[in-house]
Amino acid sequence: MKKRSAIITGVAGLAAAALALTGCSTGGNGTATGGATVTQAQITKAMNTHTTITFWDWAPGLDGEIAAFEKKYPKIKVDLVNAGQGGTEYTKLQAAVQAGKGAPDVVQLEYSELPSFVVSKSLLDLVPYGANSVKPLFTDGAWADVSQGASVYGVPQDSGPMVFMYRSDILASAGITSAPATWDDFLTDAATVKAKTGSYLADFGPTDPEQLVGLFQQAGAKPFAYDGKKTVTIDLTSAKVKSVADFLTKMFQSGDVATDPAWTNDWYQGFSKGQYAGWIVGAWGPDDLTGSAGNTSGKWTAAALPQWSAGQNSGGNWGGSADAVLKSSPNKIASYEFVKYLNSNATSAAELNSNPKSALFPTTISTLNSSAFTSQTADFFGGQAYNKVAASVSKTVNPSFQFIPYWNYAQSEWGDTVGKAITARGDIYTALQAWAQVLVTYGQQQGFTVKQ
Amino acid sequence: MTAISIAKRRVTEAPGPTRRRKHRSTTAPYWFIAPFLILFVAMLLVPIGYALYLSLFRSQIIGGQVFVGIANYVQAIGDSQLWTGVGRVLLYLVIQVPIMLALALFFALALDSGRVRGSRFVRLMLFVPYAIPGVISTLMWGYFYGHDFGLIAQIFRAVGLNPPDLLSAQNVLGSMMNISTWQYVGYNMIIIYSALRAVPVELYESAALDGAGQWRLAWSVKIPQVRNSILLCVVFSIIGSFQLFTEPSLLNPLSPVVINTSYLPTYYAYNLAFINQQSNYAAAVAFILGFSIMIVSYVVQVTTQRRALRG
Amino acid sequence: MTAAGIAKSQRRPRKDRKSTILTVALWTCCIYFIAPFVWLVLASTKNDTDLFNTFGLWVGKTFAFFGNLGTVFSFENGSFGLWLLNSAFYAVASAVGAVILATLAGYAFAKYRFAGRRAIFSVVLGAIMIPGTALALPTYFLFANLNITNTPWAVILPSVVNPFALYLIMVYAQDAVDESLVEAARLDGASEFRIFWQIAVRLLAPVMVTVLLLALVSTWNNYFLPLIMLNQSTLYPVTVGLAQWAASSNAGGGARVLFSTVITGSFISILPLIVSFLYLQRYWQSGLSTGGVKG
Repeated sequence: MKKRSAIITGVAGLAAAALALTGCSTGGNGTATGGATVTQAQITKAMNTHTTITFWDWAPGLDGEIAAFEKKYPKIKVDLVNAGQGGTEYTKLQAAVQAGKGAPDVVQLEYSELPSFVVSKSLLDLVPYGANSVKPLFTDGAWADVSQGASVYGVPQDSGPMVFMYRSDILASAGITSAPATWDDFLTDAATVKAKTGSYLADFGPTDPEQLVGLFQQAGAKPFAYDGKKTVTIDLTSAKVKSVADFLTKMFQSGDVATDPAWTNDWYQGFSKGQYAGWIVGAWGPDDLTGSAGNTSGKWTAAALPQWSAGQNSGGNWGGSADAVLKSSPNKIASYEFVKYLNSNATSAAELNSNPKSALFPTTISTLNSSAFTSQTADFFGGQAYNKVAASVSKTVNPSFQFIPYWNYAQSEWGDTVGKAITARGDIYTALQAWAQVLVTYGQQQGFTVKQ
Repeated sequence: MTAISIAKRRVTEAPGPTRRRKHRSTTAPYWFIAPFLILFVAMLLVPIGYALYLSLFRSQIIGGQVFVGIANYVQAIGDSQLWTGVGRVLLYLVIQVPIMLALALFFALALDSGRVRGSRFVRLMLFVPYAIPGVISTLMWGYFYGHDFGLIAQIFRAVGLNPPDLLSAQNVLGSMMNISTWQYVGYNMIIIYSALRAVPVELYESAALDGAGQWRLAWSVKIPQVRNSILLCVVFSIIGSFQLFTEPSLLNPLSPVVINTSYLPTYYAYNLAFINQQSNYAAAVAFILGFSIMIVSYVVQVTTQRRALRG
Repeated sequence: MTAAGIAKSQRRPRKDRKSTILTVALWTCCIYFIAPFVWLVLASTKNDTDLFNTFGLWVGKTFAFFGNLGTVFSFENGSFGLWLLNSAFYAVASAVGAVILATLAGYAFAKYRFAGRRAIFSVVLGAIMIPGTALALPTYFLFANLNITNTPWAVILPSVVNPFALYLIMVYAQDAVDESLVEAARLDGASEFRIFWQIAVRLLAPVMVTVLLLALVSTWNNYFLPLIMLNQSTLYPVTVGLAQWAASSNAGGGARVLFSTVITGSFISILPLIVSFLYLQRYWQSGLSTGGVKG
């Protein structure tokens, strides 16, 4: 769930083979040995042994699915812990991994963070545990997100195809009755809405790199790459990045969209009071507003993102996460069986994603195509079949997108470079270069080979 | 002379009877101090030593740990982010600490003068914020500071004024100062007030007989009498300023661009260690910080001592 | 005037004239100190929508206090109750430990002459200047190396060493523990430890209470140390837990918007301290005067 997506594409076979080797631990109960595939007998034994699996996940509403798993495997108990959301959790996980204790068996990681834990060799390669057998159940994009060469480091839990959600009542009072088709239309509409109603058509927070990175992805840019070993590529000078950045500069400088930090008390109130008439966000977004801006329920409409050129149909992704098993876990088989059940078991996955509280947008093909899912209407959207909109967007998201293996750092530095430019409504392209420079320097300091 | 240097002086004067006991040597005092001393060494000296040791290395995500000598310190000296943060602390020191202590002194004197109705209640109200964890007071004030819909902005608009952006680059440090002031005025007030209550009555009576008014009484009799308490407050406030962490870390989500990862030094050290994964450099920064605070506190003590000698 | 004397004398009778200007001025200042509490009490009765749509210093459209209370204690399997207990445990364990260590050592420094006394005391006194936060990171690195992070010890042990407490007790003990009493007990053949236990502790009780309160508050309110030391939600004190809930509202991402839950939790977690302040105010005064007044 939440923000960020990354898609770790398949890389060179050699690198993959090397990783597959390091990915397998040796010996021990409930462990694949020497790269050999776990046998059914081993699985049966593990699933009939008293085991407690510690599971870090911040998504709400998982209790029902966990209970179903525990009912199916009565010997296994799942201890769900909210170790904080996003960065908070990664910081804790990093500390636990370094300390060699205190890490959970299973952890929720956003796709953008997976490489950071792959590089520290903290995650278990799930291929020997049978991960490839569930591959056909997931969308290509989601599966690419959890794969690194021939290794698989997690089972997709959710994704964040980006939508434009807007207050149809505010837009209507400005005379706008349909969502903007292109970004140029978006800019025109923003000016109209601002002039006629005083509301901003959207807010772009200064601390959410993945919101803008999602737009780069939509435009077909590939700013980052990581080979799974030592080589990181950072390219924020491509023509595609530049044209998106220049558009953003123009949009921010128009003053017709807001640039307030997201998720602050003030920001929630901004939605509640109609200061913001729309939001460009991953499919998980609406759930953030149903409580604090509950008074606006029913007035919203969701649409696909505006396009970079007319007639295109391309999507971006912001967020989404996988459940990964830690290499340090003593219960590897049971942990894998758990994440597999939670995210790919037909009933569990469907329930997980239709659970309005979990805000997990599905990654399984069967759910995305099921009419029960796509026909579900949302009161917040005035009865619109929200899932259908997001599901169709998810099919247009460019799946070959990668992140760098120190994304947590990249996010914290974003505010000081691009974030400042957003707030000051300055030049985004220049600021992106400053950010890139920081990331290159840090990467080199940390021993990576950085290509630009 | 400061409270602490007084203690130093006092501890060197052996109380009479103990001298008599000298030849009756006993190991008792060592047993008494042993538990404290052992933990003192383990929890203070060993960590400092270990941090010093760590700060001589550098570790990489790829490549592991290597000995780099004083390279981390060289880096820190040239680290403009660190020194900008230290600069903010110094600004904090010269603005917030005097304001807070002046208020504390004023309240203490006012309450001690016995001329305030309901002084017991007032005293308690001033002191109660000290009971609030910094986390909670920062969260609360965070609700008041919001530019568009914060409580303060609401009140400004209600009376037809344009609200200031309390979380902007110019104002956010002041907003943090306000939180500390709100929280610690009462604590400092109680320290000074307690000292005032202990000033011998005769001193007041003789001054009152001379016809001194309340203000003169405060200035020339009371304040000199509680000078040491005030100095104690000063030293603690200095130490507190360098430690500011809760305020930047909890206000950061509200003003993420202004309060960057290096906004204040302790917050910077934390981010270095936990976000940037540069624990060795963080150790060097923590070491430099601890050292600077000791120097500043020491300088304050020495200068005030000199002034006391002159005065 | 001696420290012991101060503690005992509740000085001069009051018959001063009351000043209206001063009274008005101080009561006005009180508004500044009280307003946040008023807001907190009112906000804890609102749901998220009211919180953002009604004036902060007035009641909301609904009365959601009991609903919020239920959420606070039931959310995440009742973590909040556990956090309160953890806070209480850490605070009591640290404070009691700090008082015991500081009293033993403070008494020894005040009442004995022994080799190394001056040197050791100087070092301990200098340590008052070391800020706890700057020290916390080194301590964390050490504890991580020793593998005792993520245990209650990681929070309690560093809080037990309190040089300022030692200093307060030492200063107080110099005057409060009468030499002649000690000598008389020695002549009766009492052991040094028995003298400490039966005479000194009784005389030092007031300052011990002050030190206990200071340590309780500082541990209960501590955020940085438990934040870095603890990784596991079940070990959190209430400060770290609430901050994490608050952060999850600010982190966004379809997760948990917990504003009114955090506010109600904040309200509950400050109640114990406020109540104890109301009851124990006089101890603050007597004890804190000890440290600064001398000279």
